[in-house]
Amino acid sequence: MNDRNNENLKDLFERFLSAEQADEAVKDVVEGERILREYPAPEPDKELIADIQSKVAARLLRRRVDVFRKVARRAVAIAAAIIILAVVSVRLFEIGGDRSGGVAYASAIPRALWESDDIAADDMELAVFTAEVRQIEAEVLTLQLGENGRNGERVVVELEIRFVEIQSDFWKE
Amino acid sequence: MTKSNDLAQIIVGCKNGDAECFSQVVDIYASRCYGYFCRLTGNKDVSDDLLSQLFVKLAERIGSYKGGSFEGWLFKIASNIFHDYLRGKHRQKKLLDVRKRQLGSDITGLRREESELVDKLQRAIGRLDAETRELIMLRFYSQLSFKEIAKMRSEPIGTALSRLHRGLKKLRMLMEES
Repeated sequence: MNDRNNENLKDLFERFLSAEQADEAVKDVVEGERILREYPAPEPDKELIADIQSKVAARLLRRRVDVFRKVARRAVAIAAAIIILAVVSVRLFEIGGDRSGGVAYASAIPRALWESDDIAADDMELAVFTAEVRQIEAEVLTLQLGENGRNGERVVVELEIRFVEIQSDFWKE
Repeated sequence: MTKSNDLAQIIVGCKNGDAECFSQVVDIYASRCYGYFCRLTGNKDVSDDLLSQLFVKLAERIGSYKGGSFEGWLFKIASNIFHDYLRGKHRQKKLLDVRKRQLGSDITGLRREESELVDKLQRAIGRLDAETRELIMLRFYSQLSFKEIAKMRSEPIGTALSRLHRGLKKLRMLMEES
């Protein structure tokens, strides 16, 4: 444990002093330590020793409790982290599963509309517009054939007015 | 004297938190550490307190002991505790002086009560300078080698040697004078 027993005082002093001075120094040290041994210091009371031992035992117990608390806190933190991770993973997994719909989710336009060739039938505005155009076509045809008994000029003006109305209504919307 | 192997096993037990091993360490070192504190403080009550502090601190810090001289490590803690006590005492003395001036009275009674461990040696030790006194007590009670003491005090071995030599020589002279 300590190397005092292997220590050679004379050798040590001779590193700094002459052989004669070293001898003298060793004598002084030995004599001084003899005096210290001659006047021993008081011994600690048995009660004091017992008190210290119980204090140390109490300290060790407290340290053990502290260590347990530390471990428990760490375990709780790890468990909480695992639970949070699991919840986040499950949610991400669920969202990931819904993504398989692809275009259907991203598009605001109904799939049927994309696939249909009859645009006028798919859009209500267009359908109305188409119907009105067809009605005007029929009226023009009637006029051309002279089937309408009314004044032809007035009817043409009325038609033009309706055309303008329809056009403006359509672009408004 | 406890054999090195036994002590090593006791220390391993202490590191594992075995209260019985700590009790053994207290039994082995209490006497020497108490002597160290008694001779440096000259007061039994203070020495009781410092000894308690030492072993409680030892239980707290045993994890930081990484091998080498156990006595060196233990007495290093003892030395730190003694220096903390000295700093506290210095502060207390300053406060007492201020109080004394304020009250204009003599409070020396307290100081007289303090030094209850007065024998011939204690009086002679009291006449040495603080550094030398501590070095002599450290060497005597820790039973460390000069090499270990020099390392512990972070000073050249020659300085420790010459200071101890002069100190012990003066102590002998003081003892012979009285």
